Parts: sequence; structure tokens; C-alpha cells
Amino acid sequence: MSDKGLSKVQEIYLNRSQRAKELKAAGKKIIGYPCVYVPLEMLTALDLVPYRTYGDIKEPVTETDRALPTSFCSIMRSCLDCALKGKDDFLDGMVTIHSCDPQEKTARVWESYADYPYFHFIDMPSTVRPEAIEYFKSQLNDFRKTLEAFTGQKLTADKLKSAIKAHNQQRALVQQLYELTKPVPPLISGTELVQVVKALMSLPVAEGNDLLTQVIDEVKSRTDGPKKKPARLLIWSSTLDDTGIMQLFEAKANVVMDETCGGIRAYRSSVKLTADPLDSLADYYMKEITCARTFRQAALGETRKDYAKDLQSRFGYLEGIIKEWKTNGAILLLVRYCDPFAFEMPSLKDYLDSIGIPSTYIEYDYTIGALAPLKTRVEAFIETIS
Amino acid sequence: MVTEEKKKVINRLKTMYPLRAKVNETYLKSIEAINAGRPAVWAMLNFYYGDPILKAMDVEMVYPENYGAVAAAMGVAQQYLEQAYADGFPTHLCGYSLAGLGYTSKMMREFKGEVPPESPFGGMPKPLFLLSSSAICDARYKWFQALGRYMDVPVWTLESPSPGVKELFIEGAFEAMVNMGIKHLKDFVVFVERMLGKKMDWARLDETVDLMIEVNRVWYEVNELRKAKPCPMHSRDFWSAMAAALFLAGDLKDSLQCFKDMYVEVKDRVNNHTGAIPEEKYRLLFAELPPWHSLGFFDKLAERGWNFVIESFGYHPPIPLDLSGISDPLERITRFNLQFFAGYAEDARQQNLPSGSFAYPYIKFAREWKCDGAMLHPLISCRSASTHLPYVANMLMENLKVPSLTIEGDIVDLRLFNPEDALAKAEPFEETMEHYKRMRKQEGFDW
Amino acid sequence: MKQSASNTAPGANLYFAGLDIGSTMTKVVLMNTTDRILSAIKGPTGPEHRQLANEVMRMALEQANLQLDDISYIIATGYGRVNVPFADDQITELSCHARGVSSLFPNARTAIDIGGQDAKSMKIEKGKLVDFVMNDKCAAGTGRFLEVTAAILGIRLEDMGDISLKSTKKIQVSNLCTIFAQQEVVALLSRGEKLEDIIAGLHDALASRVAALVRRLKVEPDVVLTGGVAKNIGMVKAMKENLGCELLVPEEPLLTGAMGAAILAREIYIKASAEGETISTKPRRLEKATFFS
Repeated sequence: MSDKGLSKVQEIYLNRSQRAKELKAAGKKIIGYPCVYVPLEMLTALDLVPYRTYGDIKEPVTETDRALPTSFCSIMRSCLDCALKGKDDFLDGMVTIHSCDPQEKTARVWESYADYPYFHFIDMPSTVRPEAIEYFKSQLNDFRKTLEAFTGQKLTADKLKSAIKAHNQQRALVQQLYELTKPVPPLISGTELVQVVKALMSLPVAEGNDLLTQVIDEVKSRTDGPKKKPARLLIWSSTLDDTGIMQLFEAKANVVMDETCGGIRAYRSSVKLTADPLDSLADYYMKEITCARTFRQAALGETRKDYAKDLQSRFGYLEGIIKEWKTNGAILLLVRYCDPFAFEMPSLKDYLDSIGIPSTYIEYDYTIGALAPLKTRVEAFIETIS
Repeated sequence: MVTEEKKKVINRLKTMYPLRAKVNETYLKSIEAINAGRPAVWAMLNFYYGDPILKAMDVEMVYPENYGAVAAAMGVAQQYLEQAYADGFPTHLCGYSLAGLGYTSKMMREFKGEVPPESPFGGMPKPLFLLSSSAICDARYKWFQALGRYMDVPVWTLESPSPGVKELFIEGAFEAMVNMGIKHLKDFVVFVERMLGKKMDWARLDETVDLMIEVNRVWYEVNELRKAKPCPMHSRDFWSAMAAALFLAGDLKDSLQCFKDMYVEVKDRVNNHTGAIPEEKYRLLFAELPPWHSLGFFDKLAERGWNFVIESFGYHPPIPLDLSGISDPLERITRFNLQFFAGYAEDARQQNLPSGSFAYPYIKFAREWKCDGAMLHPLISCRSASTHLPYVANMLMENLKVPSLTIEGDIVDLRLFNPEDALAKAEPFEETMEHYKRMRKQEGFDW
Repeated sequence: MKQSASNTAPGANLYFAGLDIGSTMTKVVLMNTTDRILSAIKGPTGPEHRQLANEVMRMALEQANLQLDDISYIIATGYGRVNVPFADDQITELSCHARGVSSLFPNARTAIDIGGQDAKSMKIEKGKLVDFVMNDKCAAGTGRFLEVTAAILGIRLEDMGDISLKSTKKIQVSNLCTIFAQQEVVALLSRGEKLEDIIAGLHDALASRVAALVRRLKVEPDVVLTGGVAKNIGMVKAMKENLGCELLVPEEPLLTGAMGAAILAREIYIKASAEGETISTKPRRLEKATFFS
């Protein structure tokens, strides 16, 4: 098997923790994080290896019931299940964050049941008001303090700026990769993108950047890319982290954009470096990650409300994407018991209706058995837009 | 479909009744207000943070969360839920929010902005603006945002920090929360002034805040009295009275007097060793919200000697705090609101319970109110009222040898709670409670 | 996959097949170019029979006096559509029902199908599927609900509808779940409620759940009801009441999926021929499906 590009990506995807374990054996510390709102730059700046903890759609959830009820985000249930089964035991610590309720609640349980040397919970405000972002910055500053205590090193502004540059580089490379789904047919499939992102979230940033460079070169010149299908889809979801799910969509369509945090969400924009890098991070993470958990409005503290303007301010960024990537349909994929996305979805649908893009909402349980009923719904939708 | 059992085993407090009436009156008051050209606002329970601002500016407040419970109890929630489903909202969402979304959809689309006829308690009029809060759960601010589909009414989302226990004690962390809280309220005041077209009366706000704090202080003392054996006040009275303190409904001076009267009545019972039920055999903690339409169920349990002596901290007043040295009412509001969430943190930290408000207050309550068991009522569509319960059950057992009985239900789909089933579980649970009473004795606990 | 040149001889007798492999029943419809149905067969799917779609196909061919080789294009639909090795393509039952219903009722804009294990509503415009909702998670909103309750009552499923029409009293069946239906039915019987009233109540419960699902799409007439449950006269009545509109029911409510599949087979084939495109087909062999085909 080649050591480069897409086959390397696949290798990592199938055995995610291998590199992290090698690095640990070589003396590095590995810090887990369950959500893309965690500012990885701060880990990288202290030479810690960020490692995204995922669930596993193929693993039946058996341990989580002693801590969390069944009517709870099925992805986080799976995530915790993997942790309770020891799959993340090699981690030296975890950083959790108050992005959404399941993240917050699972964090409490995690902290109780797991015995990591390092554990930190970052609180997040719900809005992007100036005082909220200031508060988030103070939370990041507190995070810095516990990281310094843990590593015995200072997290200086210079180190942080360096780390931001490296992570921005990764974002730029991922954006380049997604340019390659613009052609008809796309040069890289949605399935392969899921694998790439998962691989990136299993590696230190510099290694991820090298891998990406290889992948981009390979994909640009490949002749064995996806076949043209009549539908070009945008998938909108919270997390989409398994190729089994993506393959359902790609049986009869080309997925050219996945607005999920197993896809482009963590990479679409970049951190604008200012004098104080913590300011830059607070600003980027609160404003640029388009997760439904953050409350956005057309104008802060607006005293007049207009639904169309509201939709435009929240979802307008998709219009350009839809045009440039020539998508002709959107699948709004909801995980059972995900509240922020469930409330958001009808508004998104209204927006997509207003710009003439057909969409359908599909709900699934994060288990492999849940995928079969999805198949019919997905295919039927594709039939309606073909 | 609220029925009262003919045989009243639970000795209800006389002073509870005027308090219970207060929230129910808010609906009609808000409709009167709107009809008279005065402002009415839909608000989420915001734990003393936004309400005092609105109260000081004479804004009528209506609470759609409460309206969900009302609709459920009156048997009309189903039509609102169906409307919400038909409008494309996923079915797993919080029952209160679906009821609210469905109600608003009907009001705006079917009845052109007028309150639908035959709405319980007169219904909720189209508000001037929506005040949501991110406290407790995501649904509580995403819901009001989603209402934008039906009404072009501005939304303000109140921030509500929720740090971890050990993170709260990092130097400067708490002050950062207070700073954000004050700045946020300043901006909120400006927003409200713009919406109402008039300026804040700061003296009035001062007075309102002081009343709010005092009402809750008295209410706190009332609940402390329930530590007595036998417990003088049943949870049913707590639930009936709590809304007056949580929601600042009606005239606060009047509420203060009502709570003071309640204190006297409860103190009297303590002095006379009068319990809320004839024979207290078991003392129970209840979490979270009770089955509103089946409260007669508690009377059946009372016949068996089950006295419900304390509830989850989420509805209890904050541990009293001396804020008299703080002149800025916005700061007093912020600190009082934060006390609700962070008041238990120091104790939690000392006892090394990392999940803070997630579990610690339950342990404190079970210990201090000397509970023999906990009845846990997970509500299928309310995740914030259900998620922590398995964890709480574990913590109660591990730390205090207090067993828990879990009985499922829902906040609006009332068919899910089955009183017969629940009663059938009561008898075996009594044996469990007896067993753990013995275990606690062996381990040196004093109850 | 074999590539075969399209048969472009005009006026030639061309035949098309649609197979609908449902969770309980397998249906096959053979048609010619004028959409005349040459044969239509229904057989139980069953757990082993899901892999024996060829048996039902064989019966259909026999009835029509045709060989498998005579069939120009074959489309499989339904739950088990991937288990038909000789099908040239698979299309979802949603598109197929929509097509089948439109061919029978040209003004149909809503099609509701209540099967043994799922319920779905399809929005139709110009004979084509444009939107849909499905329920396949909860048995209480499908034909299974009536099967289970019929068994509990010791009544034949096919008699349930007629009995329900005799009801004179409205009973609200409150329980959400098919599993708990048993308790509820027993409770109603012991309360002295009449059998026909209970059965009518059960029909109403199922209809209200399906109606709630269906209302997620705007229900526009003409509204057509298909699926096994449509043969139940009590359910048709209950659905009309719950939806508050008229319902059309085809003579053969189980066949609309297979019909639609056959029609789509014809349309795809004729279009490809007309445009001179090659169309790939599967080997014309009736064999058991194996796990590896």
C-alpha cells in the first residue's frame, strides 16, 4: 500500500489511533477533544497532539446507559460508549466544551468516569455579542492557565501565533481540496472527504498539512475519480463521520459539499490574526463555525425583525456555495435528539425553498442498522430532483 | 383533565392557594395589556436575570413554557403538537416548544394574529418581543428563534454561563462571568428601552430587585423548615407555589406577604409536629417536574406514608446572598442569577464532586432533608430534565446509599405516565428503601 | 452487466415488468407498450421468499404466456428491491407508487400508502413524485398495528373492517405503542366495551397516526389510498374522517407500486431507444438471489 495520499488517508481512517499511539510512545502528550469548537491552536502551541474523539456507528452502545438516557444525542452516546470501553484510554487528557447540551452533559459524566491526568471544560456563550465574545476569550485564557500548569510551559503569544498559522494553513489546504469537487463530475467523492477529515483530526497539524498536500496533488491528476451522477448534493448536518453514511448518498448522487463537522465546517473560514491571538481565536470560533448551536441574528439587538432578512443573515453563505458547486439538491441530515439542528432545519428549508433549491430532511439514529431505512428516503429524494 | 382526589390525604397549606393563582393570571393580564395598548412579552424562565428589568418597566410577561404545561393539563396540547409536526418540526423536540410552535402557527396563520378561541386561560397574545434564555438547555433559545417563521417579532437571548466546578475557581473566572452578566444586562436595558419607547426607572428597578431577592430569601427559609420530621409541607405545595418566586408573577409586594404568611403557617406546623401527611413513613426527593395532570397520584402514595419533602434544586430559590453592599441593581441581578447556578459549587468542589450542579445539590438535599429515596421522573421530550437522572441515581447510591425509583413520563404527551404502573412499583420500592435504611445505619449515617 | 443494443423496431411488441418486493407481499406486473396489464401476481414475501422473487415472476410470465427473454426492461422496487438479480434497475417505491397511482387517477396529487410495515405519503405533480414523507420506525402507524390487535382479539384481519362499520360508540384508544395495545384492548374488553366499538377505535387510532404523518405534506386532492390496509373498508372510512377529505381507492390497492415500476420501465426504455442510447440490462435468468450476487 502506498504511503501517500488517498491510500494513506484510508489507512489512517481505518486505524485512527495508530499515529497518536506512536507519538505517545515517543513522549508526546495526546489530548482528546469531542467538538470542533475546541481551539486546537492552543494545544498545538504547547506541542500537545490534538485527537478528536469520535463515536463508532458500528459499535452497539452498551456502556453508556449507566450514565445517560436513551433519548439523548446518539452521537455523543456512542462517543461516551467508546470512552467507557477504554478506546480512548491512551489519551493524556481531554478538553470538553459547552457547545451544545449533549457536549456539556457528556463532559460532566466524562470527567467523573474517566481518570485522565488533565481535564478541562471550556464554557461558551450562546450569542456573538461583544460581551459574550469577551467572556469566551476569558474562558480561553483560563484554558491557557490549566494547560500551562499541565505542561509546565508558558503558552506565549508567539507560540500561539505560530500555531494559528499552521492551523490556518490546514484550513487553506482543505479549502483547496474542496475546490476539487466543483468539476462535473467531482474529482474527489464525499466518502473520500469524510476519510480525509477524519484522518486530519487524528494527526498533529503539521503531519496533516503534509498529507493534505499529497492528497491534493494526487486528486488533481487522478483519472479514477467518482463517476458522474445526475444529482449533485449538499449535505447539511451536525457531524457526519462515517463513510457508511456517505455511501448511502453516493450510490446515486455526487456529494460535492458536506457542511458538517466531519466535513468542511471547521475549515471553511480562517482565523484573522490580530495583536492578541486569544482575541483572534475567540472571534473565529464563535463567529465562523456555522453550527446551529450559536444564536445569530441579522443585526445584534435588532428591534425590528424580518424573517427573510433573518434567513439571509444566517444561511446566506450557502447561496454562493450552492451556485459555485452547482448543487441541485440538499439533504438536511438530522441526528436523532439533536435539538439545535432540529430547530434550525425548518428555517434552513424555508431559506433553500426561497432560493429554489429542493431539500429533504432525513433523521437517523447513529447506528449501522439505522442506515437501511435512510436508503429509500435518500433515493426517493434523488429521484425527485433528477 | 386535572382532577382532585375526593379524599385529601395531603394536608395542603392554606397559604399556598394565593401563590398558585399568580402565574395563571398572567395570561389574562397579558391579553388585557395588549388590548389596552400596553406591552406584553413572551419570556422563558430566566432565573431572575431578565424578569426584573421587564417588571420594573411594567411589561406583562407570559411564559410559553408554563403554557405548554397548562395546555397539556387541559388536554389541548395534542392539536398544537400536530400543527408543529405538520409544519415540519422533528417529533423528538421538547414538548413545550412544539406546543408553543404549534400554538403560534395556529394563531398567526389560521387566526390571523388573534388568540385562537377557546385557548386555555385566555391564551397568549402576539407579543411585543420574545425574551429567551440559554440557561438550562439549547431548546430554550432555539425555540424562540424558530418562532420567526410565524411572527416577525424581535428576539433577545439572555446569556447564561455554565462553567465546570473546578474551572469556576480559576482566578478571575467568576469575575469574568459577572462582568459579562452586567454588560449584557446594560445592553438588554437599552434594547427594552428602544422597544418600549421609554427610559428605565432605575429607582423602580432597585426596588424590584430588592423585592425579588427578599421574596426568594423568605421562600428559601420556608423550604429549610421542611427539614423537620415530620415534614410540614408536601412537594405538591412546593410546585403550586414555586412559580410565584421563579417567574416573578403578579405584584411582588403581595407575593412577599404571601410567602411570609406561608412561613408562619409552616413554622406553626413544625412547632406542633404536624406533618403534611398523617403518617410519615418515607421521606422522598422528587426530580424533576411532576406529572401535572396526575397529581392525585401523590395522594395515593401519601396513603402509604410517602411524604415528598424536597425537590430538585432547579426550581428552588438560590442560597441567600448578601448583596446589600452592591449599589448597581444590574450587578445585584447578575450575582443573584449566578448564585442560582454557582451557589453549590464551593461545596461540590470540597466534596470533590466534579459535576457540580449536575449532581451535588441532589446529594446535599437528600442528606439534609434526610430522604429515604428519590423518585426520578424522566420526561421523554425534555432532555434537560432527564439527562442527568441516571447519573444522579448513581451518585445518590454511591455517596449516601439512597435508592432511586425511576418512572417515565413526558411534559406534554401525558399518556406516557401511567399512574397504575407507577403505584405498582411503589410497594417493592418500599422494601428497597427499608433495606437501604438499614444499610445507612450500618454505615453510620444519621437517617 | 451485459450491454445490449436497444430494440428500436417501431410497433414491435415490447413488454415490461415491475416487481414490488414488499416486506409482506411480493407483486409483479407485466405490461406492454400501451400499459395494458398482461398479468399481475401477488405472493407472500416471507423471510425465505424474499430471495425467491423469481417464483412470483415465473407465475406472472406463465399467466401472460411470455418468457423472461421477452421482457425488454425490468424494474424492481420496494423493501427488497436489491434482491432481484434479473432486475435491470431499482427505483424506490415512492416514485413507483406515485407513477402507478397517477396512471389510474390522472388528477391524483396525493398518494397515501399504508403497508404492513410502513406508511408513506407522496406528493404528485404531473404524474411524478415531487415530495414525500415516510414512517418506518413505529409499528403503530402501519398495518402491523391492525395485525397485532386482530390477533389479540382472535379475529381474522380481513374481517376487521366489516366489524368496525357496526360500531355505534366512539372509543379513544390512548396507547401510543403497538406493544401496549394488548393491555389496552384487554382493559377495554373487561370494561365491557363492545367488540365493534373497540375495533373501530383501533382503526381510528391508526388513521389518526397516519393522518398526522401525512399532514407534513400539504394534502391536496385527489387523494388516493393504496396498500394492503386500503382493502379494509373500516380504515378507508377512518382515514376519510381523520383527513377530512374524500379518498379514492384503486380496485387493486396492492398493485400500484408494481404497476408504477412497470410503467417507469417502459418510459425509461422507450426514451433510451428514442435517443439512441444503449441501455444495460441484467442476464435474463431466473435464479435464487444469493448473498453475493
